[in-house]
Amino acid sequence: MATKGLEQGQFLRYVRTVGMTTMRGRGFYYPIDSAMSNDGGRLYVLSRSFERAVSDSMRVTMLNEDGEYFGVFGSAGIGDGQFRWPCGIAVNDQNRVFVTDEYLNRVSVFNESGEFLKHWGSEGEMEGMLNGPSGIVFDRDNNVLIADSRNHRIQKFTSDGEFVKSFGEYGSGDGCLNLPWGLGVNQEGEIFVADWGNDRIQRFTPNGEFVAKYGSSGREEGEFTRPAGVIVNQEGYIYVADWGNERVQVLSPDGEFVQKIRGQATNSEWAEDFLGVNVEEAGARKRANLEPDIEYFNDDPHEESSHIEKLFWGPVSLMLDAEDRLFITETNRHRIQVFERDN
Amino acid sequence: MPESQIELIAHLARRAGFGATREELEEYGKIGYEGTVDKLLETSSPQWMSEYLIRRYHPDESSMLAGLSGLEAWLYRMITTDAPLLEKMTLFWHGIFATGYPKVLNAKPLSDQIRMFKKYAMGDFRDLLVEMARDPAMIIWLDNQQNHKDSINENFGRELLELFSMGVGNYTEDDVKECARAFTGWTIGNCEYMELRSARDSDWPYGRISWHYEFDAQDHDDGEKEFLGRKGNFNGEDIVEIICEQEATARFIARHIYHFFVADEPPVPQWPYQPPRDPEAINQIVQAYFDSNYDIKSVMKFVFNSDFFKSEDCWYEKVKSPAELVTGVMRLTESVDRPQYEHSSRQLRMQYMGQTLSNPPSVEGWDGGTTWIDTGALVERMNFASEELGKLETPGSKELFSKIAFEGNGEVEADRIIDICLKHLGTINVKDDTRSKLVDYASENGVIRVIDQEIDDLGKEKIAGVVKLIASTPEFQRA
Repeated sequence: MATKGLEQGQFLRYVRTVGMTTMRGRGFYYPIDSAMSNDGGRLYVLSRSFERAVSDSMRVTMLNEDGEYFGVFGSAGIGDGQFRWPCGIAVNDQNRVFVTDEYLNRVSVFNESGEFLKHWGSEGEMEGMLNGPSGIVFDRDNNVLIADSRNHRIQKFTSDGEFVKSFGEYGSGDGCLNLPWGLGVNQEGEIFVADWGNDRIQRFTPNGEFVAKYGSSGREEGEFTRPAGVIVNQEGYIYVADWGNERVQVLSPDGEFVQKIRGQATNSEWAEDFLGVNVEEAGARKRANLEPDIEYFNDDPHEESSHIEKLFWGPVSLMLDAEDRLFITETNRHRIQVFERDN
Repeated sequence: MPESQIELIAHLARRAGFGATREELEEYGKIGYEGTVDKLLETSSPQWMSEYLIRRYHPDESSMLAGLSGLEAWLYRMITTDAPLLEKMTLFWHGIFATGYPKVLNAKPLSDQIRMFKKYAMGDFRDLLVEMARDPAMIIWLDNQQNHKDSINENFGRELLELFSMGVGNYTEDDVKECARAFTGWTIGNCEYMELRSARDSDWPYGRISWHYEFDAQDHDDGEKEFLGRKGNFNGEDIVEIICEQEATARFIARHIYHFFVADEPPVPQWPYQPPRDPEAINQIVQAYFDSNYDIKSVMKFVFNSDFFKSEDCWYEKVKSPAELVTGVMRLTESVDRPQYEHSSRQLRMQYMGQTLSNPPSVEGWDGGTTWIDTGALVERMNFASEELGKLETPGSKELFSKIAFEGNGEVEADRIIDICLKHLGTINVKDDTRSKLVDYASENGVIRVIDQEIDDLGKEKIAGVVKLIASTPEFQRA
């Protein structure tokens, strides 16, 4: 059985929670990735929503770290500025917002206010074509790296969508990939890939040559189950959204296990607003034991997270601010938990 | 293996599964009919499509904010399973212990209930009944959280006897009350909060929270009860034990099994007034129930190997439910090789045909049989099957074109086209009249030629036309 509670101590400590579930407007609906403007003043949270939901539930919500809300853009559809299976979001050095769509096989570009500028990309297996683009990140040269998931490779494009190069192929050997998802880049421009289907993180040179791999399948410390996101801080520490294990793990710059966290969400400002006007529900919530000691149907942490609201459920994407605070986006709980260094 | 044996195995595959491709049937043929029964009863590795893969591409099928998400996840399971009987048994129990979203208003516990059915579907019937009584979705569905020591609510106790085990006429009103007393204190954790969220359809602030069973000893009536002629300080488990000992329970479950797996019976409310279609078959299933000490797997093995099940008299005597039809069609197309955006629309089509899983029309579930067929539903059923099976680019269609091309260069006789298509679609035996019309259609549709072991696009369209027509036949729409 998975452990419950707070295995934190030496590296990260919980700060607060941002966001809540809403189908429209202020809030998130199955957030699948987040990005931050260059000055850190604006967060862009990409809501995946789902096929049958109302069109405007599929959106990007703009807010700041304190929960101040600036509006939304995007909706479900196939027109300009619309999405079907939005998956990744990133901001370039000109504060343009890029969103991948793993169904439409394209990248949509917006300005910092969310006005649609253009989209590029086409479906296929040839170089420069896409099949299930998911994770997206900008490298040190302002080129965009995309996890071309179903082609099992990483592709590099200019900000204008011109193909630069690709690396990786299907497999489980060094440098091979299986449905890669999240991407990260360190200070040296090295590329980190959440090699989802292989339960590991792989590290590549800026040119795409294999450097190292970290982790293997499992639930123990340093092991991963379908990692979805990876990011590297300025000191080289590697944070992994260990999605299938419903946790975040911290690795040292050389890949050694440092810490694992299961989440400890509290009420966000938006949640407090909701409970403040729904007093009957707030009262019942207060009287409830939200951390019941129960026997779970199976030992999949997914099950535990479905019962214990404060724990991560679907930790999918990671974001760092200038002060090294870690923002963890949780798809199934529609929120972001913020952690900081425990100095 | 003689074609007659393949045809018998095809009958088994339609009933103990969702039909099978010709290739699957030929594989089954290698181990024979009884070997196939044993293989279908084996359920150790049911899925090649992982939970992780589905959750990645369909986050709503992971946490289930929406009412139909669990149904979509289940549909993936049915389409992609390597253990089709396990899914059919789960469908079977869901139809009897029918629990619906409009009252539960939390898709995760409903999905958890389906998962529970799957775990206990082919085990000891006592375990299944106890787990069903502890199931949080069932507790809310039948108000057992309101069944208190000092103020009983009979709803669950009554349905346990009437709809889930014995059937009307086999117990008294006093038995219902005593049964309800035994289940007092069987509730869900954080009942006040969860019930309130459910009543308000609230998923705020952070989405749905799964429910869990809780036994409230303070609220449980542990006094003496008299139930079905027995006295004791019975709790829920004791009640289930007594229920399972009853011949009425064995007969009720036997008739359900016959109705679902062998041949359509009238709707359940008519059972007290209308004898079974085959009373001797029911007697034999009852005996298998007691001989196996209520082991459902053993009962099913007996049924599938019985003469009354194998008899051609009951072939095509069941109308496929929408769930069976949609699943069977998609399995034949072999096109669901990964999570797909289009998946959501398939469950919608199932709804249009008249069945929304986890949303039965009442606590009695679906009547089944010919009630699946009305004008609108029939058109929807034929359209869906024709559209999906008529797509030229699916692996299933490509396989069919290869089989026809394998006939060799030149014209392929209409009669031969029909033969190949009927076998390809699961080895369907159509009536002579149906066959004659199919041949006429294929003949009038124009010649299909194989040139250099290939069929051109026009030829493929013609073959697809035949497939669409077969998908509309009564034999295809039945099991």
